[in-house]
Amino acid sequence: MNCTGWEERIALHAEGDLPQQEQAAAEQHLVECPDCREFLKELKQSLGALRAAHAEPLKAAAFTVVRARVLAQIGHDRGRAWRLGWIGALALTAAVLVTLFLPRQVPPPKMVAAPPVQLAIVPPAPVISPLATPLPRRKRRTAPRPEPLVVKLITDDPEVVIYWITN
Amino acid sequence: MEPLALLLIAAGMEGPEDWRSTAASAKAGDRAAFERLMRQHERLVLATALRLLGHLEDAQDAAQEVFLKLHRNWAKVEASGNLAGWLYRVTVNVCHDQRRQKRDLIPAEEAAELEARGPDPQQALTDAERRRALEICLRRLPPKERAALVLRDLEGLTTEEVAVALGSSEATVRSQISKARVKVKKSMAQYFRRPA
Repeated sequence: MNCTGWEERIALHAEGDLPQQEQAAAEQHLVECPDCREFLKELKQSLGALRAAHAEPLKAAAFTVVRARVLAQIGHDRGRAWRLGWIGALALTAAVLVTLFLPRQVPPPKMVAAPPVQLAIVPPAPVISPLATPLPRRKRRTAPRPEPLVVKLITDDPEVVIYWITN
Repeated sequence: MEPLALLLIAAGMEGPEDWRSTAASAKAGDRAAFERLMRQHERLVLATALRLLGHLEDAQDAAQEVFLKLHRNWAKVEASGNLAGWLYRVTVNVCHDQRRQKRDLIPAEEAAELEARGPDPQQALTDAERRRALEICLRRLPPKERAALVLRDLEGLTTEEVAVALGSSEATVRSQISKARVKVKKSMAQYFRRPA
């Protein structure tokens, strides 16, 4: 058949699916083209054969299997939902009871021994002014701040030294 | 009267108001009501799944999943306002998912065997073989074209209803249907040794 462009339109025309504005043109083409008439005839036969092959009704047993499986699954889901509900309720009750009664029975927390730490008080480093002649100091309105206390903590690890500076 | 309404009546289904009351009972936990809904729509779901998947066991698995989705998604069904349309759409989606998972193994060996028939294959094919050949024609279509063809030509929905079920435009559905029909015609001509 040379009318390739017409095939899909004729395929729609075969079952009345062609838009109305294209119907007349398709019918006119079919009148003029014997190949397309043959194509239409064979296409209708194909669809008829396809429908006939699928016309046989399904056996009742096929439906029964599906129904039974679905109802069983729904029953199982409900059972699981109930179980989850009960487990949740029990867990909540247990949590409430624990909250109410546990603090009275809990022993005081054990003191955990800290790793040995050597303490050494280091005097503050002397402040050396880079200027030969110090600039005149402004008068402070607030009270002079005390010298900071520096505590050097020497741990077991020689590379870790902790300085604690406090006022 | 709307085509879908006619289809529902022809299939012995309930109208929109009836399914709503049955669905309300089922939603409230009435197991018998849910079973009634299943009985009313099981042909729609299982036959469509079978036409899309080609194997009864696979179709039964798909139908089971569709009805479980129905049971778990009452709000969505009610929002759609069209139980049959919702079921068609979910059936098509579930079948697509199932085919993707199974990589849609087209029985190439079976197709080759049918193609390698003797000099007069039309006579040699038994009814069962003819059905199988038609089944292969259908399964060779791309998924969307197959779904459109199944819903339009085998389930008898209008192009508008098919478009709603597939979530496409009517123009897209018409294009898919026309391509699918041409391909089926050519495949069948190939199997039955008629010039395409």
